[in-house]
Amino acid sequence: MRRIFPVIALLCVAPLAVGLALVWGPDPVAVAAREPLRERAADYEGADSCAACHPDHHASWERTFHASMTQLPERDSVLGHFDGRPVEFYGRSAVPFERDGAFWMRIPRGEGEREAQVALCVGSNRYQQYFERVGEGEGGELRRLPILWHVGEQRWMHLNGVFLEPDDTRWDAHAASWNDNCVFCHNTGVQPRMEASERRFATRVADLGIACEACHGPGEEHVRRMASPLARLATESGTLAIVNPSELAQAESLALCGQCHSQRLPDPLERLSEFLDRGPSFRPGDELRGHVTPVTRETPSVSSKRPELFRERFWRDGTARLTAYEYLGVTQSPCVKGGELTCGSCHSMHSGDVHGQLEPELRGDRSCTQCHDEIARDVSAHTHHAPESSGSRCLECHMPRMVYGILDIHRSHRIEVPDVRRDVEAGRPNACTSCHLGETAPWAAQAMRAWWGERYEAPRSRPDGAPLDVPEALASLHAGDAVQRAVYARQLGREDAAEPPRERAFAMASLVVALGDGYPSIRTLARRSLERLERELDLGLAGELAAYDAFGTTEERRDASLRLLELLRARAAARCAPPRPGQLIDEHFAVDLERIVQLLDLQSDHVISIGE
Amino acid sequence: MNDTHPTSVAKALRTGWILLATSLPLGLVLEALHAFKVRGFLESAVRREMWRLAHAHGTLLALLLIGFAAVAERHLASERHASIARDLRLGAVLMPVGFFLGGVLNREGDPSLGIVLVPLGALFLVSALVRAALATR
Repeated sequence: MRRIFPVIALLCVAPLAVGLALVWGPDPVAVAAREPLRERAADYEGADSCAACHPDHHASWERTFHASMTQLPERDSVLGHFDGRPVEFYGRSAVPFERDGAFWMRIPRGEGEREAQVALCVGSNRYQQYFERVGEGEGGELRRLPILWHVGEQRWMHLNGVFLEPDDTRWDAHAASWNDNCVFCHNTGVQPRMEASERRFATRVADLGIACEACHGPGEEHVRRMASPLARLATESGTLAIVNPSELAQAESLALCGQCHSQRLPDPLERLSEFLDRGPSFRPGDELRGHVTPVTRETPSVSSKRPELFRERFWRDGTARLTAYEYLGVTQSPCVKGGELTCGSCHSMHSGDVHGQLEPELRGDRSCTQCHDEIARDVSAHTHHAPESSGSRCLECHMPRMVYGILDIHRSHRIEVPDVRRDVEAGRPNACTSCHLGETAPWAAQAMRAWWGERYEAPRSRPDGAPLDVPEALASLHAGDAVQRAVYARQLGREDAAEPPRERAFAMASLVVALGDGYPSIRTLARRSLERLERELDLGLAGELAAYDAFGTTEERRDASLRLLELLRARAAARCAPPRPGQLIDEHFAVDLERIVQLLDLQSDHVISIGE
Repeated sequence: MNDTHPTSVAKALRTGWILLATSLPLGLVLEALHAFKVRGFLESAVRREMWRLAHAHGTLLALLLIGFAAVAERHLASERHASIARDLRLGAVLMPVGFFLGGVLNREGDPSLGIVLVPLGALFLVSALVRAALATR
């Protein structure tokens, strides 16, 4: 009997040691919650707690750009080159540099300059923006710094050159606040905690970035319930106290993505102050209605200074022309209205390519033919185009690229049938002439009538008054509004257009003219298109294009354009097919400046200014 | 020498049983921490790894000590028993204890200072095993 006590004591050593260690050792939950800006409140647990039980799902999320959307500035999160080399825009320079392990910028202020320490990074896919802390205390306001790092171009860019707006040499024009702006969609479990009277913030988030609970809902109750192994064994999906997006009905499933992938206002608008204090009320599993109202073209502006604030974000037929309106686009689509489509039909959050969150096979026709398999069996009968051509790709016709965002042109998420008259008269890009770049709108309408019937009529006019005998792409590039010009500046250089590069000297000439556009982002898109075509044609323009600076002075840009036009005229004959009449370039590859100026004069005086 | 030899082997055997009697319950405890989703354990990757290693090393080294005691008398030169047994016991205890302590006051990316016991124990263990190999009859 005496010997039993040592045995029991021995068996108790490990449990006692573990218990004491857990009581007196550091608490990893508390450590995570003490990180800047983070607080696990309002039923949120944070992604770390999900990782403990769902390591595979956590890992598949952690590799996405959702996960790295907002990060503290650390060696492995900062993408920009803080190398102390000055970067110049509009005649003044900024210097990103490191000091004592922290990331800094020396930026213009008035006639002088000042230093700003990076306190937060937003973005990791296309570009990364940087924010400084302004005001006292840890919870002060985070304000955007004037230059960002563009990941694709591997260079610093002034915000004015990335957003869609005319040249603006003010360095502080985009000093937006993170706390009442970016915070809502780029983080999880948001509480802006704004004191409106003094405009002070004590902002907290459950997670920086778009984490598990953004889609699965607050996890506190789930964690509490699932702590019991018996509860886990007995649990059915309905009692998990957590949302499984794949089990949601269509409206709730769409709302899950739509809580961020749609511009929206509180419903009703009077709840704005509530949102700016405690954050949005939407939770996964809800419908958007009752929480927010998606912005449409008809939504009244909330700014008396900018009555067109929302209208200019849509084409005239109500189709969104900026990114972050995907929810609106997809809910306008017959595949949702009359079908079962959800975002999850094509996109996947835990698998596939993180660029677009798409499985490889769903990047192409399969995204449509998974439902419309009868078309896939004889695609040419449906498209009247060669089966392997871009004209037989579902997305090219039904989700054409006509959405501006983050210095690129993206696919519309309003899935629809092209209609030349509808599109041209609404002043929006048309799928046919976005590919048949040298053709006119009436030409495209005639082809549609021949193939698909009388209901496809020819357009009668363009809203800007540009003549219809000019190729639609060129008319839009020169006479269209800023978004139209941006779209065609990109499309004229696309690799898979109907005309091969050697038949696109006309496009190059017009793109060179677009290098003088009043919007720096359009100039950048035109330069990229020219570089793509130059890579195919090797006309010897590469050096001149590399030297071209979209932020240069008007004179510098004009001189660069003239040199490029001269080079094009001298060298195109050797490698390009002769242009057709009406393509704003003559048979000697000299640009028809007179006609182009006539088109440029049709550009609206209305200034479009859309930041992000 | 005759007195030392059975004593040192017996000590190794006793240490093996004691180590087994503490390491196996540690495995049960770890399983319970998983079962009840104890966040203080699950949310610290370093702690999880350290304590898992403590359990694994404690159990396997305990079996090594018991195995040593079983074969020492027949297969090892008797004059080496004492020193080999001492080093084996030291190594077998220091390594799991080091791993366990490494997961007690750890930070996010590093184990705590107790981890230094692990290489120390490993040295004793390697030394003992080499000498045991050389002393094998």
